[in-house]
Amino acid sequence: MTEEINKEELKQKILEHLAKKPWQVRDLAKVLRVKKKELDKIVQELIAEGKAAYWSSGSTTYVTTKEKLEEMEKKRSGT
Amino acid sequence: MPVVDGVELPETPLLDELEKGPWPSFVKEIKKTAIEQEKAMKAGKKIKLPGAAKGLLKVLELAYKDKRTHWKHGGIVSVIGYGGGVIGRYCDLEDQIPEVWHFHTIRINMPAGWFYTTKALRTICDVWEKWGSGLTNFHGSTGDIILLGTRTEYLQPCANALAYADQLYGGVPFDIGGSGSDLRTPSACMGPALCEFACYDTLKACYEFTMRYQNELHRPMWPYKFKIKCSGCPNDCVAAKARSDFAIIGTWKDEIQIDQEAVREYAKVIDIEEHVVKKCPTKAISWDGKELKINNRECIRCMHCINVLPKALKPGKERGATILIGGKAPFVDGAIIGWVAVPFIPENELIEKCCEMLEAIWEWWDEEGKFRERVGELIWRKGMDEFLKVINQKADVRMVYAPRNNPFIFWRELNE
Ligand code: HEM
Ligand code: HEM
Ligand code: SF4
Ligand code: SF4
Repeated sequence: MTEEINKEELKQKILEHLAKKPWQVRDLAKVLRVKKKELDKIVQELIAEGKAAYWSSGSTTYVTTKEKLEEMEKKRSGT
Repeated sequence: MPVVDGVELPETPLLDELEKGPWPSFVKEIKKTAIEQEKAMKAGKKIKLPGAAKGLLKVLELAYKDKRTHWKHGGIVSVIGYGGGVIGRYCDLEDQIPEVWHFHTIRINMPAGWFYTTKALRTICDVWEKWGSGLTNFHGSTGDIILLGTRTEYLQPCANALAYADQLYGGVPFDIGGSGSDLRTPSACMGPALCEFACYDTLKACYEFTMRYQNELHRPMWPYKFKIKCSGCPNDCVAAKARSDFAIIGTWKDEIQIDQEAVREYAKVIDIEEHVVKKCPTKAISWDGKELKINNRECIRCMHCINVLPKALKPGKERGATILIGGKAPFVDGAIIGWVAVPFIPENELIEKCCEMLEAIWEWWDEEGKFRERVGELIWRKGMDEFLKVINQKADVRMVYAPRNNPFIFWRELNE
């Protein structure tokens, strides 16, 4: 039970961080003091829930929020 | 405006220069696509990006005229469940040339060894004619099929059309390949399917890695990219040693097989002394006009003699592969050749041993690697001895840092 709550809290925290800038999971793991493997899983869940998304330069991948992605996408495409 | 086959093409005096000369020209190909696209449209085919190839000609012409690129870098990956495979690109001439404002690239996982049926090729072309520019690149530097140029909103429908091609219209389904910080689409030479030098089944290995590591291929989670390439022999036709973090190079342990009769046949048309004996880098060969002898202890498996006398010489019978680690081809520093990680794995153990090793390497690299640090750079930073512990290998004199160098394992000690 407590684990579930912690996870929801963690998800919330992750989204707050993602809303600021695109992150590499490893860096975010350091900031949030969680294991990278654990964070990998949670990030996958957030992506599956449609709350987070990948952003790629072609050679490197970052994770960001859905909103941030749309915003960046707009900026990128120049509208 | 020049008119070809009833299709008007934009004026492109600068690009036209690149059509001159006897070699193939991408300008010619883009023009052809522009013409085909318009014909298909007139024939009533559904096409989502009309004029994309024409638009590309306009952008390129303008780029030459303005002496600057009109492309922008970076972008989205919006195929559900995938974190790679799409390279987002935009043009900064939205108002002038809206046809190519979005020009995203999709990497499609090619079949091992690049063998296709015409039906499979037709599937890809039909899907791309509808959902993209119609321009393809068989194949890109990673080995993938490259579909050049589509809009963000068509990425998902295009991926679906390819993934469910069999159910949707009896085509051959294809999956998206790798890009970003993930396992890149594994690639292999055509190996035993076409080539008698193959020392292991490169196609099978490539297929196994692809199927087993779908998660690693599609959901990027590593510090940077990771490439696996399989070459059947030291000729290394996929340039695995310089272009992949994990290169599997076929080799043999025993003696080069010699058919003396066939050597004597060759001797009638080739100067064996000049073109074989003298060219052996370790002077391992002798020829008395009747019999060719090879001192296999000296042979470094360079393939030269076998390549020159393919009918007479063959790799030995005890076959397998050498694993090289850490190769990469960055723009600025130039190619870095992989280092020997395992000198020899017999063919029948090869795939399993590689998988064990790959999983151990990924775990270590994922823990220890810095942002955008390839596994070779991590070994560089941490030392070969630590890496050997990760893959559970003993140091070996063949693990040299570079040719004609001391064995790698001493290199770090020397520096300390
Ligand atoms: C300074 C500008 C650029 C740099 C430094 C650059 C760098 C790269 C790199 C490093 C890769 C390999 C990625 C990988 O697989 O790890 C790549 C691939 C690619 N890039 Fe770029 N790129 C640039 C501009 C562009 C532009 C403007 C476009 C298109 C409008 C583009 C289209 C592509 C395509 C289609 C590929 C895949 C090619 C293949 O797999 O064979 N790039 N680029
Ligand atoms: C004057 C213009 C161009 C020059 C000089 C040029 C040159 C090259 C060269 C030297 C390569 C490396 C080939 C190799 O060794 O594998 C390459 C690869 C590539 N080019 Fe171009 N290119 C030009 C225009 C274009 C355009 C307009 C496109 C796309 C519409 C394009 C797409 C690609 C792609 C996708 C690759 C990777 C293919 C591969 O690695 O096999 N190029 N180009
Ligand atoms: S790498 Fe060797 S086995 Fe593979 S195609 Fe080339 S020559 Fe043949
Ligand atoms: S493979 Fe190369 S090193 Fe070995 S005998 Fe032939 S030429 Fe010499």
